[in-house]
Amino acid sequence: MTNRLQSPLLYLLLLGIGVAMIGPFLWMIITSLSSPADLYHYPPQLPATWHPENYAEVFSRFPFGTFTFNSLKIAVLASLGTVASASLAGYAFARMEFRGKNALYWVILATMMIPFQVTMIPLFFVIKTLGLIDTHAALILPAWFGFGMGAFGVFLLRQFFATVPKELEEAALLDGAGRFRIYWQVMLPLARPALATLAVLAFMANWNDLLGPVIYLSSTEKMTLTVGLAALQGGELTARIDLVMAGAVVSIIPIVLLFVVAQKFFVKGIGVGGVKG
Amino acid sequence: MNSKPNIPPYERSGFRRAQPYLYLLPVLIGVVVVTGGAIVAAFLLGFTDWDLVRPPVWVGFANFQAMFRSEQFYQVLGNTFYFVGITAPLMVVCSLGLALLVNRKLRGITFFRTIYFFPVVTSMIAVAVVWGWLYNPEFGFINYLLREWFGIQGPGWLLSTSWALPAISLMTVWKGVGYNMLIFLAGLQSIPDQLHESALIDGAGGARRLFSITLPMLSPTTFFVVVITLIGSFQLFEQTYTLTQGGPANSTLTLSYHIYQNAFQYFRMGYATAMAYVLFAITLVVTIVQFRMQKRWVYYQ
Repeated sequence: MTNRLQSPLLYLLLLGIGVAMIGPFLWMIITSLSSPADLYHYPPQLPATWHPENYAEVFSRFPFGTFTFNSLKIAVLASLGTVASASLAGYAFARMEFRGKNALYWVILATMMIPFQVTMIPLFFVIKTLGLIDTHAALILPAWFGFGMGAFGVFLLRQFFATVPKELEEAALLDGAGRFRIYWQVMLPLARPALATLAVLAFMANWNDLLGPVIYLSSTEKMTLTVGLAALQGGELTARIDLVMAGAVVSIIPIVLLFVVAQKFFVKGIGVGGVKG
Repeated sequence: MNSKPNIPPYERSGFRRAQPYLYLLPVLIGVVVVTGGAIVAAFLLGFTDWDLVRPPVWVGFANFQAMFRSEQFYQVLGNTFYFVGITAPLMVVCSLGLALLVNRKLRGITFFRTIYFFPVVTSMIAVAVVWGWLYNPEFGFINYLLREWFGIQGPGWLLSTSWALPAISLMTVWKGVGYNMLIFLAGLQSIPDQLHESALIDGAGGARRLFSITLPMLSPTTFFVVVITLIGSFQLFEQTYTLTQGGPANSTLTLSYHIYQNAFQYFRMGYATAMAYVLFAITLVVTIVQFRMQKRWVYYQ
């Protein structure tokens, strides 16, 4: 009885919150299709005429195609680096015995607690010394050495590798396979879901990163979508809200597509921290 | 064959013993050597005057003295604690509420979970761009709703010294609430069903079950969320970088943005790292206090 009464109210509540969560994105799209005259108007209104040509204009006035390519290149190569370095380390922590194992594991996890601002300036100096300022390598290379999502990745993959039955490896060992072949041919294929989870979360972190590109990149043609959008918003187009919104829509489309395709991996990766944290 | 029982025979030779370190090499170089080195370097740099171009000059405690004498530093510190103080509780309460709301078997519930999570995947800059427009005092949708629904003249939001930081806080909670909701949801779903069933048999009502079973069983998850939310809130950067640059009248100038400004706009690297160490110390103290206090309220099975 109570359930029947409750559930329309419950749906109303769920729907109300849903509108609050998705509404700003709809408003972003509507604004991106408006003309400036429609926008500076009270009360806020739907555009009298729709202006899809705003998108063409934003691409012609700003190299948004290049920004998109740069973001994609950095996010793909950096998340590949995270997966490679974290899976090697995660495998060693799960399956090998060596001196200092526990201490090293906790040191790696503890680095997650350190605010980026603390190491930011010395790391900038390292990147500068390597001659990588204003290159994409400044944002890609660190991921291959476990920066960014690396520590979380080691934790995630160690947990996963630890659940793989030892018999699978022992069979391969009896066949004369070396450690690396077991890692490559037995463990990695088994770990595909965990690897995908890490790859998806690392891709998202790199795609949305703002501070890294702000610090390291200076020339316009090297910029990613996030800094490009910040420049667009703070620069000559401050008054053209419609164009800024078109840029914002362009910048979120790829990550939204990835989310739609790989939703379960996002959910899995985030749940891990909570249960065992 | 019996030198060390936990090392299998195929890993006894010298190379085999070194092998684990080869697998760890990239992460060891990056996370242990470079990050560790950077932490030490940052500590030393805090005692220097350095513009990145000329070599650093040792100045002793001058940076810290200047910092603790500067009125702006105390304002920045105040803003930081104010932001954390309103954002973290709001975030924890809202995400726990949402998790409890969507943790039920209802038709279409996964759809709502997806929608609530959606802002998490988008970039803060895209979110800030649209919220900046929603917050527009004259033409923004938020003040329009306040006037139409409640007959209130909304404040100037990002243009107002008293409302800018709460406005950024609200946007931050809206963007991140779905992330913590998922963590809470995973925690809720790991609570065994029998506990709720036996409480039902004992005649415990909904509120009783929430406070006697759900919340205590969920407390390790809550602890985790509180710690990561606090650490995250202290590092507020992208929102202020995009929307206010610390303004109006420094009312949204917080520690991490001020560190960025000093380092990469004024090139006062020594002063910036000294300040970064203050941020580090605050984060560390807050985390240690949390770990100390967990004995009082976190229940481990």
